[in-house]
Amino acid sequence: MFKVVPPAFIFILGALLIPFLRERRLKQLFQLLVPIIAFIDLLYMPKGTYWIFNFLGYDLILGRVDKLAMCFGYVFVIMAFLGMVYALHVREDGQHISAFLYVGSTLGVTFAGDLFTLFAFWEIMAVSSVFLIWYQKDKAALNAGFRYLMVHLFGGCALLAGIIIYVSNTGSINFSFIEYGGLASQLILLGFIINAAVPPFHAWLSDAYPEATVTGSVFLTAFTTKSAVYVLLRGFPGVELLIWLGAIMALYGVVYAVLENDIRRLLAYHIISQVGYMVCGVGLGSEMAMNGSTAHAFCHILYKALLFMGAGAVIHVTGRRKLTELQGRNLYKKMPICLSLYMIGGFSISAVPLFNGFVSKTMVTAAAGELHRPVIHLMLHLASIGTFLHTGLKLPYGTWFGKVPKGEKIEEIEAKEPPLNMLIAMGMAAFLCIFTGVYPKILYDILPYHVHYHPYTAYHVVGMMQLLLLTAVAFWVYIDKLGGEPTISIDTDWFYRKPGRIFVWFCNNPLSSFRLKVQNIFSAELDSIIRLSKNPYTAPKVLLWTACLYANRALKSLVGQKSIEEEEKFAERLKTIKSIHYNENIYRTLIGFGVSIVLILLFLSVIINFKM
Amino acid sequence: MPNALKKLFFITIGVFIIMGFFISPEHPHFFWEKIPAFDAIFGFIGCILIVLGSKALGHHGISKDEDYYD
Repeated sequence: MFKVVPPAFIFILGALLIPFLRERRLKQLFQLLVPIIAFIDLLYMPKGTYWIFNFLGYDLILGRVDKLAMCFGYVFVIMAFLGMVYALHVREDGQHISAFLYVGSTLGVTFAGDLFTLFAFWEIMAVSSVFLIWYQKDKAALNAGFRYLMVHLFGGCALLAGIIIYVSNTGSINFSFIEYGGLASQLILLGFIINAAVPPFHAWLSDAYPEATVTGSVFLTAFTTKSAVYVLLRGFPGVELLIWLGAIMALYGVVYAVLENDIRRLLAYHIISQVGYMVCGVGLGSEMAMNGSTAHAFCHILYKALLFMGAGAVIHVTGRRKLTELQGRNLYKKMPICLSLYMIGGFSISAVPLFNGFVSKTMVTAAAGELHRPVIHLMLHLASIGTFLHTGLKLPYGTWFGKVPKGEKIEEIEAKEPPLNMLIAMGMAAFLCIFTGVYPKILYDILPYHVHYHPYTAYHVVGMMQLLLLTAVAFWVYIDKLGGEPTISIDTDWFYRKPGRIFVWFCNNPLSSFRLKVQNIFSAELDSIIRLSKNPYTAPKVLLWTACLYANRALKSLVGQKSIEEEEKFAERLKTIKSIHYNENIYRTLIGFGVSIVLILLFLSVIINFKM
Repeated sequence: MPNALKKLFFITIGVFIIMGFFISPEHPHFFWEKIPAFDAIFGFIGCILIVLGSKALGHHGISKDEDYYD
């Protein structure tokens, strides 16, 4: 038996050791070993609360381990392994380091038992993940990264403010169920839902993820939003607001996905849509809904990683990322394995029976049914249609098949299957998607509550197949309308991208020139004060003669006379007195003499007055 | 799409719709769960609604040129 350590530290330590390994094979082995060690660590972690450290009179808890935390912990570590296999060919250490720090901090959030620890890891998560975007090293990525960081720091501030108010109200920093109502809980919830990409605070996701590196975006899809779902499950189950936000979110992503041309951005909108199911499940708050949210987060991480891996592979080999640049180039002939593996992800997200989305997504919709929420039930159902339409049909059709629009000439593009490690990662993700779909018991056993749900009833399967097949028919009917269009869609990031520019212009131009004016006035004043202070001995005289000069001028003009002579006289005096420069040596002896006398007198008076 | 595949596709749809007439949920929560082939109808109409609705939104403000933010 070995001693278990916080899994967050395994990844963080792993990240710090990466630069010291020089041999490439050794480094790769190490990168794969870290998630494996973390997984073994998880298996040995007992349930309970431990790793408690006292800090300023508060107990920081690094290990609050229960079924809910474990379920997320498992999938995060599995995902770290898959992501690392996919990124194995990347030679930049920095990317691996930031990925490990990102995974580590997410695990820190998952097992944090108090709000301070949660907040600390929350911030590390934001800062480490932004490098996965910046390593793309182009201007779009740099800008998107800054916007990503800005939104997350705003969310972090809201969370911190909420935590401080919460702690001063309740006196406890324990992170468990938070009663919704009041400023503290609202701010904490705001911090959480910004990370969960709930509209209108979702635009950072669809803005930044598609700009990340091919391998980095695979990591990004898994951790931030799902850890936010975890903290929502922990803190805010049963909040009515979340039901509606979740259902709106599920449809919102779908609508934008119709319009999207960038393949990874299309998938990013589907993250928003899928996280909508989870947020809705949190809001519904029943045991079945909470199980559904947890299960869906688990499955979503696997299939969404697979989808991003597939789309990333296309970008990796072709360098193209837009449907308009890919459609009609018949890539399916050149990368059939990649296409097949992608389709497994596509079927999983669409909840086709025997794939993992079916065993988790239907649980959330069924929970909505059980709680008699007809509108929510239908909204989630509608979002399922959109999911299959885009991720299962439109995207693969446009990327690997498709037609070139009339008038555009087809040029052959270089393409082949992606590197082996990418295919292996996709293969493993695909295997897990099917495995949990065919044998859901393995997933249901680790869910936080006992599961009373059977996905494979005849009614569920037939209903889902009808829904999906007829979606495919409708897709066929509208196939020409669904080709990519060379446009981008404005989203809520417009509010900080366009007016933000006006704000910067305002700062650079009117505000800055106003600042310059004020500065000039004050520096002119400062100059005259400096001139006076250069010679404090003559300063009173300078002031006096200046006053005389102006008083004289004013008096004479009042009377109506002009006295050039007198004015010249004053000016002459002023000039002579101003020209006297202060030379400290002239006055030093005098001052020194004065001070010495004073000191001697003081000394004498002390002696005289001092009585034994 | 090859013709055989097309045929298979439509036969599958037919089979599932017919099956829908014989299968009903054990505990229906809403009235529409008792309508046979409701999911098929919902899927078809819902998909058209999503496509047309989103495209309409796109052409009335959301879609912009690619250099909109540059």
